[in-house]
Amino acid sequence: MAENIIGASNEDDVGIKEQDRLLPIANVGRIMKQIVPPNAKISKEAKETMQECVSEFIGFVTSEASQKCRKERRKTVTGDDICWALATLGFDNYEAPLKRYLHKFRELEGEKAANQMKATGHDYKQEEEEDEQYPLKFSLIGRNQQ
Amino acid sequence: MRQAGTYSGIGSGKTGPHLLPLARIKKIMKRSGEEVKMISGESPIVFSKACELFIKELTQRSWMLTIKGKTRTLSKQDVASAVMATDLFDFLLNLVSDSD
Repeated sequence: MAENIIGASNEDDVGIKEQDRLLPIANVGRIMKQIVPPNAKISKEAKETMQECVSEFIGFVTSEASQKCRKERRKTVTGDDICWALATLGFDNYEAPLKRYLHKFRELEGEKAANQMKATGHDYKQEEEEDEQYPLKFSLIGRNQQ
Repeated sequence: MRQAGTYSGIGSGKTGPHLLPLARIKKIMKRSGEEVKMISGESPIVFSKACELFIKELTQRSWMLTIKGKTRTLSKQDVASAVMATDLFDFLLNLVSDSD
């Protein structure tokens, strides 16, 4: 089923803006620039195509991970589920850098959680997320550009 | 504009530790299907790195095709061709062929 990329909404959810489907073009472009030589140019259409590809990638991997969760009767898709899905779908060379990244993050967050526990007695790490509350909990990412 | 190449890991940089906005990643994850109900706080974090790796890999492959054509501009067609040339990116075939 073909999906319109430009403008018009065939979307089932009328309220969802086109932009919410995609990661910001500036962020995507910045990452692309890290790969090509300094004098290289990247066309706007190439960046737009990359935006679409990344969203498709996220959906593809998330579906696989959430199916696994459903089979195992778990409600929450975890970071480990994502790692597993990536390996299953052929992205196994991402596994090592991701595990390192996740490990580092957990270390850092473990410290923060410990501090937060002392302050509030509230263990946010165990909580499962249903909506957009979590940006408040992760002060590392509190200043996201949206 | 701040050079993203100086990003070296979590906890560094004024723009925040992640190159991609986590809330947006989470929204995109939720759109992937009815069965995706709850997402741990870590999942978007993992994805922010995975997406970075993905973008870099696809860009690298695209660029290899760009330079064969002796231009210095990475085009949409280069991205499409890289997708078609890579089995791992078969899930993108419909996307890149529809867009033409």
